[in-house]
Amino acid sequence: MNKIRVTAFRWVPPFAQGLVRDLRVRWALEEAGLPYEQVLIGPDDQKSAEYRKLQPFGQVPVLEADGVTLFESGSIVMYIAQQTNALLPPDAAGRARALTWMFAALNSVEPHVLNLNTIDLFNANAEWAQQRRPAAEAMVRSRLDALSKWLADKDYLEGGAFTAGDLVMMSVLRFLRHCSIVADYPNLEAYKLRGEARPAFQRALADQLANFEKYKPVAA
Amino acid sequence: MTSPVRITALGAAPRAFHGQIRDLAVRWALEETHTPFEVHLATDAERASPGYRAMQPFGKVPAFEGDGIVLFESGAIVLHIAETRGLLPREPDARALAKSWLFAAVNSLDPDIIALGDIDHWAPQEPWAIARRPAVESMVRERLALVDARVANAGHLAGDFSAADIMMIMVLRQLRHTRLIEERAALSAWRDRCEARPAFQRALAAQLADLARTSAP
Repeated sequence: MNKIRVTAFRWVPPFAQGLVRDLRVRWALEEAGLPYEQVLIGPDDQKSAEYRKLQPFGQVPVLEADGVTLFESGSIVMYIAQQTNALLPPDAAGRARALTWMFAALNSVEPHVLNLNTIDLFNANAEWAQQRRPAAEAMVRSRLDALSKWLADKDYLEGGAFTAGDLVMMSVLRFLRHCSIVADYPNLEAYKLRGEARPAFQRALADQLANFEKYKPVAA
Repeated sequence: MTSPVRITALGAAPRAFHGQIRDLAVRWALEETHTPFEVHLATDAERASPGYRAMQPFGKVPAFEGDGIVLFESGAIVLHIAETRGLLPREPDARALAKSWLFAAVNSLDPDIIALGDIDHWAPQEPWAIARRPAVESMVRERLALVDARVANAGHLAGDFSAADIMMIMVLRQLRHTRLIEERAALSAWRDRCEARPAFQRALAAQLADLARTSAP
């Protein structure tokens, strides 16, 4: 991969710092040992017609490399994994399994995590949120329960090797950092920490956070 | 592709969900690529069993056995079929775009659409649901407007008809109980075009027939 550019936010409020999805892409690029240039954007860019051509939903990240443009962090992580072999096992079956876990993270776990976060981070004091929260938490727990049983005493979802599936699943578990649900599953907590301890993750996180410090709004 | 393909589909479901259970996307992709397959219908008891959980950790459908591997997650299976049997544009930029749209279906559209379905199917009279619904519907509408703009402009999500269209239609079929698709001309025309494909019609008919046989009236 050549001339890699990743789009990220110049600044976000503290609740999102360290979670914005360009982190997943930075992490994958760090694991692959690929240098990249970051393109920082703000709310005005998100709405612009020019940016919407690259990212129809106005979100981050976007990846440009090799003359190809991609959006959706899952799609980008998969592209990096497939182009570099850094995040996938060598055999076809193992690669397909890693892909399956990426989708499980994004489509079987994350929707329920986002549902809970919508309550806890944006609507905590709303009456509807208080009524809804127990069922929303139960749904997250039912998914984590299944995931914990699957992981059992393995280090990674498919056993010995860290894959793109782990990278995305660990990233989704990190979205629950405001509460203690993951810690109720000791093997999932250890799994998440195993991901966060990786040097590539640490570099990716530091690079995302550095922007937020640099572009911190000045108090009026 | 040596080993025959076997998929696991849902053995029984409430009527409202017939025609939108996710094995539909896998059946559709297999039909598009003329891949012979057999269907195993899993009962609720089977899906809860340790044996099934070893194949599908969350106890959901679909699961895919074939090509020497076991896969789950409809998005992953459709993408696997697309990569191995040709349901993606060949040109690199269009191919990357198709994959981006496939992920957008499952991760940028589906979460809000699942939330709307949870309200409408499971809690329509609950006070929290009545209070919450307008905001969820407006988020779904906002996303649909962007898909509408895309297909109005391009005809399909990326290049010609591809796996991205299959996954997006699969996700959007969860809105059949609303008029949210119909209120957008390009979006509903694109949907009708995709759903008129003989492969979709065969996949849908097979899911409906399987569920009609096994579900309570």
